[in-house]
Amino acid sequence: MSAPDAGLSRRGALKLLSANIALVAAGCGKPPEEIVPYVRMPERLIPGIPLEFASSLALGGYGRGVLCTSVEGRPIKVSGNPSHPMSLGATDVFAEAAVFSLYDPDRSQAVRKGGEIVGWTALQAAVMPHFATWAASKGAGLRVLTGPLTSPTALRQIGELRQRYPAMRWHMSEALGDAAGRAGAMLAFGRPVTPLPRWAEVDVLACFDADPLGPGPAQLRNARGIADRRRVRAGTASMLRVYAGESVPTLSGANADHRFTWPLGGVENALIGLARALGADLADPNLAPEVAHAVAAVAADLQAHPGRALVLAGPHLRPELHGLAHWINGRLGAPLDLFAPSVPADASSLDDLARDLAAGAVDTLLVVGCNPAYEAPAPLRLGDGIAKAKLSIHLGQMFDETAAACQWHVPESHPLESWSDLRGLDGTASIVQPLIRRLYGTRTLHAMLAALGGAFDADDYALVRETWKAQATDFEPWWRAALEAGTVPGSTAATLDLAPPAPPKVSPAAEPRGLTLCLAPDPSLWDGSFANNAWLQECPKPLTKEVWGNALGLGAQDAATLGVVDGDLVALSVEGRTIEAPARIASGHAPGMLSLTYGYGRSRAGTIGSGVGAKAFGLVGREGQSVLVVAAAKAGGRAPIHSTQEQFRLEGEDRDLYPVLALGDMTAKPLDSHDGPVPTMLPPHDYTKAAARWAMVIDTGACIGCNACVLACQVENNSPIVGPEEIDRHRDMHWLRIDRYDHDAGGGFQPVPCMQCETAPCEPVCPVAASVHDSEGLNVQVYNRCIGTRFCEANCPYKVRRFNFFGYATDQAYGDLDQPVMQARYNPNVTVRGRGVMEKCTYCVQRISGARRAAEKENRPLGDNDVVTACQSACPAQAISFGNLEAPGSTVAALRREPHHYALLDHLDTKPRTTYLARIRNPNPDLEKGSG
Amino acid sequence: MSAVPHPAPGDAGLLPRDFSYGEVTRAVSDPVLVKRRWRNWWIALAVTMPFVLATLVGLVVVLGVGVGTWGINSTIVWGIAIANYVWWIGIGNAGTLISSLLAITRQDWRASINRFAEAMTLFAVSIAGLFPIIHLGRPQYFYWLAPYPNTMTLWPQWRSALVWDFWAILSYLIFSLLFWYLGLIPDAATLRDRATTRGKQLVFGVLALGWRGSARHWALHETLHITMAALAVPLVCSVHSIVGLDFAASLMPGWQETIFPPYFVVGAMYSGFAMVVMLAIFIRWGLGLERFVTLRHFDAMGLIMLMCSLVMGLSYATEWFMAWYGGDHAARGLIAHEFAGFYGPLYWLLLLFNVVLPQVLWWPPARRNLWVLAGVSVGINIGMWFERILIIWNTLSHTYLPSMRHVFVMSAIDWIFILGPLGLFAFLFLLFSRFLPVASMYEVRELGHREGAR
Repeated sequence: MSAPDAGLSRRGALKLLSANIALVAAGCGKPPEEIVPYVRMPERLIPGIPLEFASSLALGGYGRGVLCTSVEGRPIKVSGNPSHPMSLGATDVFAEAAVFSLYDPDRSQAVRKGGEIVGWTALQAAVMPHFATWAASKGAGLRVLTGPLTSPTALRQIGELRQRYPAMRWHMSEALGDAAGRAGAMLAFGRPVTPLPRWAEVDVLACFDADPLGPGPAQLRNARGIADRRRVRAGTASMLRVYAGESVPTLSGANADHRFTWPLGGVENALIGLARALGADLADPNLAPEVAHAVAAVAADLQAHPGRALVLAGPHLRPELHGLAHWINGRLGAPLDLFAPSVPADASSLDDLARDLAAGAVDTLLVVGCNPAYEAPAPLRLGDGIAKAKLSIHLGQMFDETAAACQWHVPESHPLESWSDLRGLDGTASIVQPLIRRLYGTRTLHAMLAALGGAFDADDYALVRETWKAQATDFEPWWRAALEAGTVPGSTAATLDLAPPAPPKVSPAAEPRGLTLCLAPDPSLWDGSFANNAWLQECPKPLTKEVWGNALGLGAQDAATLGVVDGDLVALSVEGRTIEAPARIASGHAPGMLSLTYGYGRSRAGTIGSGVGAKAFGLVGREGQSVLVVAAAKAGGRAPIHSTQEQFRLEGEDRDLYPVLALGDMTAKPLDSHDGPVPTMLPPHDYTKAAARWAMVIDTGACIGCNACVLACQVENNSPIVGPEEIDRHRDMHWLRIDRYDHDAGGGFQPVPCMQCETAPCEPVCPVAASVHDSEGLNVQVYNRCIGTRFCEANCPYKVRRFNFFGYATDQAYGDLDQPVMQARYNPNVTVRGRGVMEKCTYCVQRISGARRAAEKENRPLGDNDVVTACQSACPAQAISFGNLEAPGSTVAALRREPHHYALLDHLDTKPRTTYLARIRNPNPDLEKGSG
Repeated sequence: MSAVPHPAPGDAGLLPRDFSYGEVTRAVSDPVLVKRRWRNWWIALAVTMPFVLATLVGLVVVLGVGVGTWGINSTIVWGIAIANYVWWIGIGNAGTLISSLLAITRQDWRASINRFAEAMTLFAVSIAGLFPIIHLGRPQYFYWLAPYPNTMTLWPQWRSALVWDFWAILSYLIFSLLFWYLGLIPDAATLRDRATTRGKQLVFGVLALGWRGSARHWALHETLHITMAALAVPLVCSVHSIVGLDFAASLMPGWQETIFPPYFVVGAMYSGFAMVVMLAIFIRWGLGLERFVTLRHFDAMGLIMLMCSLVMGLSYATEWFMAWYGGDHAARGLIAHEFAGFYGPLYWLLLLFNVVLPQVLWWPPARRNLWVLAGVSVGINIGMWFERILIIWNTLSHTYLPSMRHVFVMSAIDWIFILGPLGLFAFLFLLFSRFLPVASMYEVRELGHREGAR
């Protein structure tokens, strides 16, 4: 028997082995490293002093101006840019969470071909041969697929590519696009428009399925505008009145004065009824008497406020209804600005691309800024189609579903590490500037587009500057000013002056044949592009407080019909496409109406986001519609619903926890019912020597429940992520939570940070004096001293303390096990807490300390507004006020004298420093009885 | 148990008429000194071993992985550890009470049972002492509750009931050890004198501290014993009062009640006596001590349990009344939650075990029927454990703000520490019954003397 011919003798193997050992011993030591201090300090960089840079972050393609805080070269916090009209100084959850995405260890780090890591030059070599083909065919077969694009530089580059290759086609994937709204605008004006209300002029707002306060690029602007018009102080006589007619719960409905729960067809018919009341010649939708009554009252109210009333139609309504809303607004003289959309309308659709792919007409496909393999309607079979392209290249921050479908994958730079530009909804442009050198060998959209034009080593900085070169003759100062301000001066689009539209022909809504499912962007994950962001996964959805998943919302009646209870899996199917989602019974669903959000069910989101929740995109048909008539059935089996709050309804005297007053009788009943001090044996705390007495007042009437404060707090204070299993054990670690309540007088949101009680129940019970009071009234927690008895939390009536049951900061899989790159996200001014330690809201004591140092350096007393807490800075509705009660003209002191001011659990005599303003409703007297 | 024939008790005395000094000495010391078959003992020991191992594994897990392995959460931050602590301290109370309170009030019947009741105290308090430490987030720093000199000049925060508790447990543990050992000295001398092997002579000789039985020894011993007994009574009351203050010195409805200290002391006595009854039934059966631990003893303990059940019933009623009378919304809501909330069934069981079932003890034959007594005692121990855990679960889960109302999710560690320490306790007790005299020979002899023994 002969040995198999291995091509290697025993002797040879031994030789190789010894050579190997010699090599290992000689050559593989640690590479020499040396550290060097700054010999010359970079300009402006002072260790310990954070720098802020203006930039812009995209949501649905539209920019929201932000200011990024960078500490010694590491971006650690995003806050709003006050001079940007789409931010107004506030942030939403997506902007706050951008830092996590930057340091996400799952980010793609190398160019890959079919999954194998290769170099950028390999891609270059693969693309090169095609240039000749394109030159010959004028680019026929060359396709670029993007998400919604507003970047002037990218649009310029695409324009140049089109000039060079006239037959090239540009497609846009708009998974969350407002197709109905655009079609409605086409009906009304013959052109697409972006409507933006002039909130300062609005007295009455009627939303028909519309959710101006919901997540989206306009949320910050709308929240601020609506809050400004609903802010009530002593003596305020009028405020914005909001009606919401909707079929599934939305944030706008939760914040409305009157919310009508109608099926989707009922909402459409009510809008038709309203138009008829305003004089439109339309077929009678035969409204039920109570609906007719409501519509009549709304119509009367709208008509009573000519030029100051506004009607908004929502994304689930038919295009004709959008056209009708435009007509009504024209009729009312509504304060509504119409802009030309910042996203150009000349891109081809995804549908066309799918057809061409199937026909084999696509030679080269570049996919950037979107994830069609996940979000495109299933009947388009885009995943299969991409495989037919001769050359397919994907540019993305993650190796996602589309990356897997394409031959080539190029890692994309994060917006915080790239040069670019973005336009807001109103056209305002901002320059996106990098705060950190690229962490990996990543490329930007601009570099990829330039590569298609043959320039493989294009410089993004030069490309972006090239776009704006023509703006000023003396470019450098202009450029510098634009970067500093965060907006490009004069870039806001002019409002369109369009003729009032004619009333469109609208037929009453047909009775649906089954259950109607309304799909909407997820308030935490948006379209799914944030799925691997654990901060967002663990951000409780405003209305349901659900985390780590998307349950199917439905009313109790439909749940009974289907025979399901919370957590039972329901199979939803449309034309043979089926998904399963756990049911969750929630109030606010009209009979026959179901709700589900996009963004979940990712298969290649990363270690955190893959396999979480139900894939709503899997149901969507070829037209990409967000309303589906579905067949629903109990699927058998259960899926856990992770939620941070279980009881929403307030009964009996619990209602005092969340008072809701009508504008008229705001002063009727004093809310601070506390009569005199409660007897105590403990000596009173002496605050007379304190330089400041910090206090916070939260206006529950302004709060829209958007969670920006929750995320801002988490980012600022290095709060850990705990994961779904720990959420199920009720161990969430948010220092600031937003409680949602409803009761007969109304409902709303109550952000609950630490109350910083003057007579704090947590302090006397701590055996080791880890919970102590400081001279300025802060109830501070000394982490190093804490031994974890948890008596403080047991004795806290507000339950605002949070305990590290495990080493969440370092050992939590959902926190990426605190991998080295993730550690860069930490705010260096806040201690990272270890296992077994209690923690809590500190009123951002690190910011107070910073402000105090600044004041001392300038030898002045601390002013009222010197300190802005993270939650306060994030709030788009400016519901949170923070300041020094001792300062002259103190804002918080004035708010504490308001008639609708109250302290939570006042009767316990905890003397909280965090107090509230009651929610004020502005009901229509005609509807006060029997409104939905 | 009841199948074992009981000698008829004397008409007046607790001990049989034909009682002799030698008999008690033999009966108690033989198990320690004379070789005999210990098959049942080994079986019992084997039964306890899985529990002991489970407890050890539980300790390693809790200390190694963290307190997150308990089922506690942000709302119910205390759980099984604290309930067990209160319950085990309560078990411990009865031993000291039997020895001291009954000594002072000259209740002679205690003589036969005080030794193992004191041992029970010692083991129970030791087990109880584990819980506050393993419930800490950072157990390695538990000593920060002690005022030791340190470079940061930090002291404990004296207003916290947990600091008082630290001292209460520590003094109680030290005291019960000393008290138990004091009673053991004359018996250790007896064992030393009767021991047949050199090893046992040495061990018991050291334990006897040179006891010779002189009149002066006896006089000093008696004085010290009665003095310590006098000290023990307030200590026993203080330890469980302070445990009660752990809850009462707070702001939570259902905890912030002035009745808690006395109510906790009676509750402790209650569960402690129930445990003593259980142990007495097992020991007199296992070691054949029917002639010294007689039905009169059980009768007396039954009466005490009956009294306790009445006091407990009254305490519960006081809680309900005060919640109604005080008119506080939170307190009333809590009472409604206790009866009808998530843990309602457990609360009804608690009332059944602690208040309703013990009423059978009004009937004298029931107090002398060991089966009935065993049933009632087990019920009381379960009921009292429910009471401890429900004080925590109900108050914390029904917190002021409805948004934070959650229920407790039991974890494996919770179950381990509910069941494991019971086995550990039995294990320690078995060791005790094998290697030390389970009854106080000299006190039984003294009792016999008074009842006219030869």
